[in-house]
Amino acid sequence: MRHWLKLFACILAAATFAPATGFAQAPIRIGVLLPLTGPFAKNGIENWEAMKIARDMINERGGINGRKIEYLEGDATSPSAAISETERLITKEGIKITTGSFASPLAIAVSQAAERHGVFHWETTGAAEIITRRGFKHTFQVGAPARKYGQAAVDFITEDLAKRLNRPVSDLRIAMLWENRAFGKSVGDGIRAYTGKKGIKLVYDEGYDQFATDMTPIVQKLKDSKPDILIAISFPNDAILFQRKAKELNFNVAAFIGVSAGYSSPDLRASIGSMVNGIFVADFPPKVNPNVLKPEVRKIADEFYKRYEKKMGRPPAGHATAGFSAIWALFTDVLPKAKTFEPDELRDIALKLDLPEGSLVNGSGIKFTNFDWPDNPKDAGQNLRASIGVWQWTKDGNEQVFPAKLATHEPIMVPLPSWDKR
Amino acid sequence: MTTLGQLILSGIFIGGIYALMSIGLTLIFGVLRIVNFAHGEFLMLGMYGAWAMTRGLGLDPYVAIIAVVPAMFLFGGLVYRLIVSPALDKPHLVVVFATMGLSILMQNIALMLMSADLFDIPPVFGHAVTVGPFYFKAELVLGFVITAVCTLVLQWALKSTYLGKAIRATVQDREAAMLMGIPVPRIFLITFAGGSALVGLAACVMMPLFSVFPTVGLNFVLIAFVIVVLGGMGSIEGALIGGICVGVVQSLSSYYVAPAFGQMFFFILFLLVMIFRPNGLLGQKGAADIGIID
Amino acid sequence: MTRNPGFISLMPARGTLSVFEIALLVLCVVLVVAPIPQNLQDIIVLTFLWAGLATAWNIAGGYTGLISFGHAAFFGIGAYASTILLVRIGVTPWIGIWCGGLLAALFGAVLALICARLRGPFFILSTLAAAEVIRIAALNWPSLTGGPEGLAISPSADSTNMVFASKQAYLVLMLGYLVLSYGVTKLIDGSRFSYFLFATRDDEDAASAAGLNPLAIRTVALMLSAALSGIGGSLFAQYFLYLDPTSVISPEVSFQFALLPAVGGLGTAIGPVLGSFLITPMSELLRSYLGSKVAGLHLAIYSALLIVVVLYFPSGIAGALSRLSRRREGKP
Repeated sequence: MRHWLKLFACILAAATFAPATGFAQAPIRIGVLLPLTGPFAKNGIENWEAMKIARDMINERGGINGRKIEYLEGDATSPSAAISETERLITKEGIKITTGSFASPLAIAVSQAAERHGVFHWETTGAAEIITRRGFKHTFQVGAPARKYGQAAVDFITEDLAKRLNRPVSDLRIAMLWENRAFGKSVGDGIRAYTGKKGIKLVYDEGYDQFATDMTPIVQKLKDSKPDILIAISFPNDAILFQRKAKELNFNVAAFIGVSAGYSSPDLRASIGSMVNGIFVADFPPKVNPNVLKPEVRKIADEFYKRYEKKMGRPPAGHATAGFSAIWALFTDVLPKAKTFEPDELRDIALKLDLPEGSLVNGSGIKFTNFDWPDNPKDAGQNLRASIGVWQWTKDGNEQVFPAKLATHEPIMVPLPSWDKR
Repeated sequence: MTTLGQLILSGIFIGGIYALMSIGLTLIFGVLRIVNFAHGEFLMLGMYGAWAMTRGLGLDPYVAIIAVVPAMFLFGGLVYRLIVSPALDKPHLVVVFATMGLSILMQNIALMLMSADLFDIPPVFGHAVTVGPFYFKAELVLGFVITAVCTLVLQWALKSTYLGKAIRATVQDREAAMLMGIPVPRIFLITFAGGSALVGLAACVMMPLFSVFPTVGLNFVLIAFVIVVLGGMGSIEGALIGGICVGVVQSLSSYYVAPAFGQMFFFILFLLVMIFRPNGLLGQKGAADIGIID
Repeated sequence: MTRNPGFISLMPARGTLSVFEIALLVLCVVLVVAPIPQNLQDIIVLTFLWAGLATAWNIAGGYTGLISFGHAAFFGIGAYASTILLVRIGVTPWIGIWCGGLLAALFGAVLALICARLRGPFFILSTLAAAEVIRIAALNWPSLTGGPEGLAISPSADSTNMVFASKQAYLVLMLGYLVLSYGVTKLIDGSRFSYFLFATRDDEDAASAAGLNPLAIRTVALMLSAALSGIGGSLFAQYFLYLDPTSVISPEVSFQFALLPAVGGLGTAIGPVLGSFLITPMSELLRSYLGSKVAGLHLAIYSALLIVVVLYFPSGIAGALSRLSRRREGKP
């Protein structure tokens, strides 16, 4: 028994050994919660690299009012791990600011733990509507809410594609396929509500399981419902499976709009080759039209793209750029104004932010809600100026196509040629 | 009608692939009476192997079989020596947790070495096979043919070769087989390594159809478990039938009910079979009594 | 095994309290009241909770031989029941946790009817499949469970909602749960019922020949185990305040349920507790020290340690302890 006590004492001793903090000119410590292992690891690691580039860039510029940025990271592999890791960073390391967390369920979990301790959470990419609708005071979601992704896709159809296809919107058969995880469901709900309001009927509207291994029944059912346009909300693995199966079963649409992670990942081309050409993507722009950016932001953007490509060997995906943009805004627009770095002070600064579109590297601006938006339940800490646009995979890269003021290119391949002609 | 035909035929073909992926597991299950919870990660390893051969050496994934299958045989042998064999004479849960630990270990080593990115190979055949109104990916059809050939060859080998007979004797009665001079530990080693080699074969066949990433095994391992039990453990033709059942049930339920329910329907099918035919669809007598916890 | 009720034995023994157990309880109470940094309290909370959960599993898995890999379903049902009652109807979790336990017990009965005749790998895989059915059902019933977006409990401290600001309150709660689970196990241990359980586990035919009804006994054991797991699930929900089907009703959670007793010692009351006291802090500390260094390193080390432990201590820590005590008493 003495043995066990000794072991336990050792564990206790090992864990209490925590570095002291809080001296003047000490670094500003930020807790970064991202999925570094498990099924979300791919996107989590990409985000992590983008965030580290932001830290290095700000520290090379002398930090914030002379204080360097220091990250303390937690592996938020699942929602429960996210909560444990957030709790650890807060209670053990004394973190007052957290950020992350790529995926919606993780964002929900991290902000839950942060709010409990009154810690300031700066969410970069999580999108599910519930994140900002729980009445939290210290959670700020810089990325777009789920409904914005869907609205971008639907607006693109009604304002642009319908004309190009020479068809009235009421005539178009629109289908929607979503992955049954927090993000997919939330975006799907948003699209359903938005199209409903516009009087558009969806000819197909189904979710599928994240472990789907056979897309045949889904593609077959889509084929039978004969849509002109398909909006698909997917993660990388199922996006690849779906495209391959669509080709196999010769399922053709006049336009294909993918939403976020599955279709915006730059290595999608490495996976399915020229099959990506012509696919539209509703997401954060990976590279916006530089003309919409303020000149000083453009320089930062160029530096970020260069460093990211050097490190990862490929351009950043939209979510990685969004992660960089959000954390950079924290470094340049929130923290420099802080004196105490207490969550309440940071909250006041964040609520006062009024940055026009084009202020962030990915073309977004910042203006947060504060229980003052006509939603129900009320939004708080939701960024109203997150820019979600539509871009397109082209033969050798990608181009922003919508909305017009962000666009770098006219949409091409409309209608999308059938598989045998691609 | 066309739709129903396409669904059933596609279900059968994909079911064949599922079956191929499960044959190794059912062999191990039948002979050693253990569940290898790292089965999905063996598949993952094989797929990385097939991917490396295809991308690195420019080989066709079907040619990569020549290298991946022996490599997986050796890997299986190594795992047997290091982890399975020491666990065999211990309580049943030991081997369960040892293989489960191996599964987490392999996933995370893959994450450290390969990152979490998805890897794919270009399609082997440019076009789908068209039969009347039906479309099938050529890789899928070829995969099914490979499964059928593999099943026949294994059946023949188990029936007619000395090794096969020794394996069957071990399945039927371990003690008697030992008394008859069959080197049972050796049979175990060969079966485990052979089962792993079959997973390697499945990995090469699946590489043109699926992406590989560290947690890819999670998408398939439960399917493999269901197939093995449905078919009756240790039964190779059972695995084929179980695979086809799972493929067709998945295909029809996703179409006619909703794809969001995913694997639910074949889990329910599985539970129903367990209630009414606990010995598996083909009903090997007494199979359900094998593997009582010691 | 000698039983001398007049004396308290040093090492844990069936049916009586031992010095070891009392000392452990005292240690737990010290951990609750001592001024410990919050992050360590977090680990202790989880250790107590998992010790209780593992003890609950052990009633089915260790005592009755029902090696279940579906306990995440009971855990999830309990967690969702109390949370849905709180979030949707406003019923306090102080009542909700018992409802969660009851509902989990009912599902335990259903599962027993489906699976209790099966053995070994078949039972394992059937329970795994049943839990997956529950997970997918929860995922696809958003009006009740919130679907993939999950359910969140408001984090503002409120004792009627069983949400506390201090970790100490949770320590008390979880220790209470552990004592409840352990108490039930000890009661079984000291009763005739334990012999029924062992008899059905070890030789079903002999048990029926002796006039027992193995199916009924298994059902009762599984229901008891499920009820305790469900209560634990409710407490988990009250501590984490966020539930989503994929992480709460996951196979990983089921594995954890079975792993801790396997490491600690199956079929002994103290085993699962020791298992949790070893494994839970180990995995939390590995993640907190290594989780951020190289992605995957902490899980790789954890799993490698796990393999070594299960291979070299097959009868668990409790087994090693009893060997030790036998040696001390000079018995073979």
